[in-house]
Amino acid sequence: MKAIGIFFMLLALAIGVVPQFTNCSAQGRAIELPGGRTIPMKCHWTAMAAPAVAVPLLVVGGLMFFSRRRETLWALSLLGSVLGIFAILLPTYLIGVCASDEMLCNIAMKPTLIFGGAVTLGAGLVGLVLAGKIRSGLFTEAAGSD
Amino acid sequence: MSLIRLALRNIAGNTFRSFVVLLCALLISGMALTTGMILFGADNSLRLAMDRLGADIIVVPEGAADRVESALLMGRPTQSWMPASVVDRVAAAMDVQAVSPQLYLATLSNASCCTVSDMFLIAYDPRTDFVVTPWLEKTIGGVLRLGEVIGGADVFVPAGEEGIKLYGYHVALKAKMEPTGTGLDRSLFLTIETAQEMARVSRIKAEKPLEIPQNSVSAVMVKVRPGCNPRAVALNILVHISGVTPILSPDMFQSQRKELTALRNGVVMALIITLVFSVLLIGLVFSMAANERRRELGVLRALGATRSFVFQVLLSEAGLLAMYGGVAGAALTILAVVLFRKLIIATLGIPFLVPALPMLAALILGGLACSLLTVMLAAMLPAYRISHEDPSIAMRE
Amino acid sequence: MIVFENVTKAYPVDKKNRVIALQEVNLEIPHGAFLVITGRSGSGKTTLLNLAAGLTRPTAGRVLFEDVDWRSLPDHRQSLLRNHKIGFVFQFPSLLPSLTALENVALPRIFDQGRARQGAYERARGLLRSLALGDKLGAYPRQLSVGQQQRLVIARALLNEPEILLADEPTSDLDEQTESEIMELFRQLHANTGITIVLVTHSTQLIRYGTHSIKMADGRVLPCSLLEK
Repeated sequence: MKAIGIFFMLLALAIGVVPQFTNCSAQGRAIELPGGRTIPMKCHWTAMAAPAVAVPLLVVGGLMFFSRRRETLWALSLLGSVLGIFAILLPTYLIGVCASDEMLCNIAMKPTLIFGGAVTLGAGLVGLVLAGKIRSGLFTEAAGSD
Repeated sequence: MSLIRLALRNIAGNTFRSFVVLLCALLISGMALTTGMILFGADNSLRLAMDRLGADIIVVPEGAADRVESALLMGRPTQSWMPASVVDRVAAAMDVQAVSPQLYLATLSNASCCTVSDMFLIAYDPRTDFVVTPWLEKTIGGVLRLGEVIGGADVFVPAGEEGIKLYGYHVALKAKMEPTGTGLDRSLFLTIETAQEMARVSRIKAEKPLEIPQNSVSAVMVKVRPGCNPRAVALNILVHISGVTPILSPDMFQSQRKELTALRNGVVMALIITLVFSVLLIGLVFSMAANERRRELGVLRALGATRSFVFQVLLSEAGLLAMYGGVAGAALTILAVVLFRKLIIATLGIPFLVPALPMLAALILGGLACSLLTVMLAAMLPAYRISHEDPSIAMRE
Repeated sequence: MIVFENVTKAYPVDKKNRVIALQEVNLEIPHGAFLVITGRSGSGKTTLLNLAAGLTRPTAGRVLFEDVDWRSLPDHRQSLLRNHKIGFVFQFPSLLPSLTALENVALPRIFDQGRARQGAYERARGLLRSLALGDKLGAYPRQLSVGQQQRLVIARALLNEPEILLADEPTSDLDEQTESEIMELFRQLHANTGITIVLVTHSTQLIRYGTHSIKMADGRVLPCSLLEK
């Protein structure tokens, strides 16, 4: 379970940091309106929202590292899974990225969020299974030496 | 309680060591699968591109062969011209069954955001064309009219628009082709008539007009008579028509093939290094594990386990870890390659398409086999050594 | 039942040197005996047990188990013999930590190709209940006391209804009361089933539990030490 906690933390870093450097605003691109004003594109807002998934995931990972109780680990794994789902939804459904596949946000940021989210979801599901196997009651054990 | 269940329990009881072996198996499977997917994917892409071009020979202006290949493969537009009279001269060459001219044009760079800029436009003659027209008949049951285009797989109509605006001229995207993983996915096919109309409109409406030289073509697609040798036809064209270069279809993309060979060598070398280090690391981990478990394994022998049983338990542990790690590695690799496909193309500069399902299945099995063989090989010596040790010495620790 | 004929056992220490654990031992362990072997650490008691079970080969001489020389048997026959006829109680913690109490006790049956594995769990449950461990079936060894673990080891040794039980210092890590309980267990087992027991210990106080006793020192059975009650 400690390994899953570390995994969550690493994924949180990827989910939170990579979008900051791969959205179009970071590349100096924006939508130019008539009149000369520029507004950021959708990928900018996706990058802004990514830390909202990443930071809780980082905390969840840290808590998993130190927790031992079955119920706590189960809940943290579930929360991690949900955060993984949100990481996938951010660039695909909730906000989105630019449509053109020449844009870095499309070829780098979006796949990073989807991949990171999918792996987080998978790790969370594994955590749920492992947490379920921890015996409770008189013989409550440490959640493995991992 | 069976041998496999005992092996599973032993794996669960040594989580750190199991995790290291699992990680190695994951890396091996992932590396092997990535290598296979990239190499076969690139080959697949080239093959599809060649099929898409549909011609036995492409005649281009002398010196333009590399640029044309690069345009078709990587979508980097190019413009090159030769007199239109070349078409008739090629048609008259021996053993030529059909010819059709094409014009290669490019869109304006960065004309507007959120559309595909730097698009490669291929204008064809619908009266003589034998490349696009059969596909059109199969797909839309007709031909392209004025103002209509067909696009590669990555072409799209910007949100909120009804068509694609090129040089101030709106075209309707009639259909999209299947992906090839090459620059053809970012190309537009249109009739010469539409191209000329676009050029006319561009003089008024575009930031920069589209210039199509008079009486000029960019390439001539050639179909060779069945049963004849295309190489002989190409040689004939080269000898008798000056100022042109005939490119044989099988010879296309030679420089890219060389790049792929170099990439393949690099990737295979990386895979070999990964395998060697993994064997050493896994061998070390299993040796350490076997040493720590000498007493436990001695007990099993005292309880009636044969040497063969102990050996099988240890190998089963290795095999199970290899399978778990291999499957996880395969799943992660496929997910990553599919998601990051366009980044791979942009970074490595190679065409790439995820291989078709049967090939993909074979590659996955290959990756799993690689993982299984490596881990089992690494575990074999420590397992043999420990299973054949005198149990009383093993228990003396 | 087990006969030692002029047995010597030497263990290699390095390429040149070796330690002589047993020297020219001649011993006959009769059927149905409860033999207590005493001696200090390093006297060769454990080596004697290992040789009796065929877990190691003598350097010289031979060891016969039911008139069959261990060395004449191939590995799979030796293993079958150990599995069916010999129960082992070890000096060190020998339970598999990743298996539950029930699984540990049933373990010897998975090596046995002949008998039904299904029956192993039933028999294991019965043994654990008879040893007052009926409520610990799902517990892991680290969740049990040392005394409970030792009873578990005894239960495992009895799973396949062996003809002989070899116990190597089974009470060395136990307190006095638990030691008495375990020894009483051995005595009752011997009395009720007639099983042959060879028990090795450094405590001379345990001699009273056996029907025979011998003393070892420096790898030899001391002369005139075989006492029969």
